[in-house]
Amino acid sequence: MKTVAKLVSGAVLVAGLTACGFSSEKSGSSKDDNSISLAVWGSSPAETKGLEKTVATFEKESGIDVKIEVIQDNFQDALTARFAAKNAPDVFYLESFTAPKFIKSGVVAELKDVDNPDDFYQPLLNSFKDEGKLYALPKDYSTLGMYVNTDLLTKAGYTMEDVPKDWVGLMAFSKELQGKLAKDQAAMIFDTAFARNMSSLIASGLTPVTDKNRADFTSSPEALDYLQSLVDGKKAGYLKNPSIDLGMDSAGAAFGSNKAVIMIEGNWVLSALRQNYPDVKYEVVEAPTVNGKNQTTTFTVGYAMAKATDKKEAATEFVKYMTGKGQQQWSEISVTFPTRQSVAEAMKLDQNEVVKAHVLGAEYGTVWSSGVNLPVISTAFDNQFTAAVNGDKTVEQAMKDTEKEANDEIKRQQ
Amino acid sequence: MGKKRYNTLQGYSFLTPALLVILVFTLVPIGYAFFMMFFKVDLLSGTRTFVGLGNFEKIFNDPKFWASFENTTKYVAVVVPIQTILAMILASFLNSKIKFNRTFLTIMFIPTLTSSSAMTLIFMWLFNNNGLVPNVIESVFGKNVQFLTNPDLALTVIMIMNIFSTIPHFMIVFLSGLQDIPWSLYEAAQIDGANKVKQFVHVTVPQLMPITFYVLTMGIVGTFQIFDQAFIISNGTGGPQNSTLTFSLYIYQLAFSSNDMGRATALAFMLGLIIFTVTFIVNKLLKADKVNG
Repeated sequence: MKTVAKLVSGAVLVAGLTACGFSSEKSGSSKDDNSISLAVWGSSPAETKGLEKTVATFEKESGIDVKIEVIQDNFQDALTARFAAKNAPDVFYLESFTAPKFIKSGVVAELKDVDNPDDFYQPLLNSFKDEGKLYALPKDYSTLGMYVNTDLLTKAGYTMEDVPKDWVGLMAFSKELQGKLAKDQAAMIFDTAFARNMSSLIASGLTPVTDKNRADFTSSPEALDYLQSLVDGKKAGYLKNPSIDLGMDSAGAAFGSNKAVIMIEGNWVLSALRQNYPDVKYEVVEAPTVNGKNQTTTFTVGYAMAKATDKKEAATEFVKYMTGKGQQQWSEISVTFPTRQSVAEAMKLDQNEVVKAHVLGAEYGTVWSSGVNLPVISTAFDNQFTAAVNGDKTVEQAMKDTEKEANDEIKRQQ
Repeated sequence: MGKKRYNTLQGYSFLTPALLVILVFTLVPIGYAFFMMFFKVDLLSGTRTFVGLGNFEKIFNDPKFWASFENTTKYVAVVVPIQTILAMILASFLNSKIKFNRTFLTIMFIPTLTSSSAMTLIFMWLFNNNGLVPNVIESVFGKNVQFLTNPDLALTVIMIMNIFSTIPHFMIVFLSGLQDIPWSLYEAAQIDGANKVKQFVHVTVPQLMPITFYVLTMGIVGTFQIFDQAFIISNGTGGPQNSTLTFSLYIYQLAFSSNDMGRATALAFMLGLIIFTVTFIVNKLLKADKVNG
């Protein structure tokens, strides 16, 4: 008799499960044929407003309804989970850093017949290409520039002309400057992450990600010298980490509250500086040259379309509009940099004293993207270089270990 | 016979909601994970290729696995004994007739009610290199100690935090156990000439053995699965220098950052196996089910 009871309860279970499964699948998508979903991460109020307004204009012009889904935290992980659950958004933000992974997995649709592709800054466009095919269109970008707090600089007895334009000079200057500052102030804020140092390493003659998609951190002595200068600066105290050494949330916050004279940061700090620290006086110049070469890192995000979408036409139209006709509206409200040169010209960005240095960087900047293994290589570097900065390893040993850790992990992932 | 069948059916129908939840959210995922650990899985595209025991081979050759193994073991070995012993001592204090014991109980329970992520952020604020604790240490001892960037100390911060936040919960569990111990046992011990300390060691501790086993088991399971504190303190990286990389954090990294669900499930299976073995040994050592004859 027990078996009968088991069978009955089993049947109830199965019925319940299938009911749940089917009902959710039906209600989840395609109620309205003229609507697409767009997954974005939560960002500044200005960007949110820019997105909402531009999307509204698009909706009015095209008659397509766009549902904006904001994923507040851990966007990449949440997105991965949604792809795994076969519940991907039709259009989504795609960072250049993770783009190769998504493209190689074959879940992103190819974008064809883009209007005037030569108008885009080519390095940005190239970071979304694989074997000549284009998989996303860049919506905006950021580059690193050097921010100098002119109040603190003057108080210490220097002018902007005294700030060197090259890395080695800048380090010597920071060392000198630190002697004239309080203990809880930094001459310069630094970041040990690979994302912030890759372009300097490349300028030093290193190819951190080789043609064969492997890590190389040992072949250039100049690159080791560059890293050594960071370690020396941290040890002597003229380079400080905003959250660890100064107890501030971010570099922008430390800079804005007069705790640092120099920082090398992206233009994303501008809105915070304007809104939260309107009293701080600063100038922005281009990131310092390393090894005699101009360098900066460019971060870009594009609109990509899921391959599995059943609204390909509407989604393509949306992506093209946001990176084409609608780009100026988006860039102006969100205070981001347009990826099309024609829009940049129309907005007269090269005449704006504050952002000029950032826009100039777009031409020579290294895009933060380098094949499918960059996340592994970057993690290994961050991990090992911290050891060098903490003084547990020499820079040379740390870089040897980075190379080994990264290449071993790459082998395991094959 | 008919009545029995009716009873069984009735029993199962009452159980159905709970069974459904267990089946959907526990048994099916476990079964699926058991299946996935023999494959190389691309989570994004959903493709998989059979690799047999290849995932386990990769794990054993992975220095990060051994780092997470070492961190987690160290963490369990330090946190579990301390939280159990302190919780037991605090509970017996509260059980004695000191004044305001209800007030103490309420105040002491607050850390358990605080969400662990909020607690982590508070601790990070306290322990950052310009924070309260390092500054106090510097002004008292004249020595600059860095906690969050120092690989030897970052894990210690998480340990302190976890001990601080779990003790109250286990204290309550011990307290309820203490109130179950018959007063006659203490009376008899008193007549035999045992002082308070001897009463604690020879009456309280053995009588609490089943409760201790529960606390140890929950402590072991909870500490082996430590994730959120390590995730927040290292921003998901497990750094500095892998010193806060725990099993669960590494599983998460493998699944989402490395896009390697097969290896993640294989590691999860091993974590399950380790927890099972350790709990089994503790059970055998304590003879929890044989207390009181």
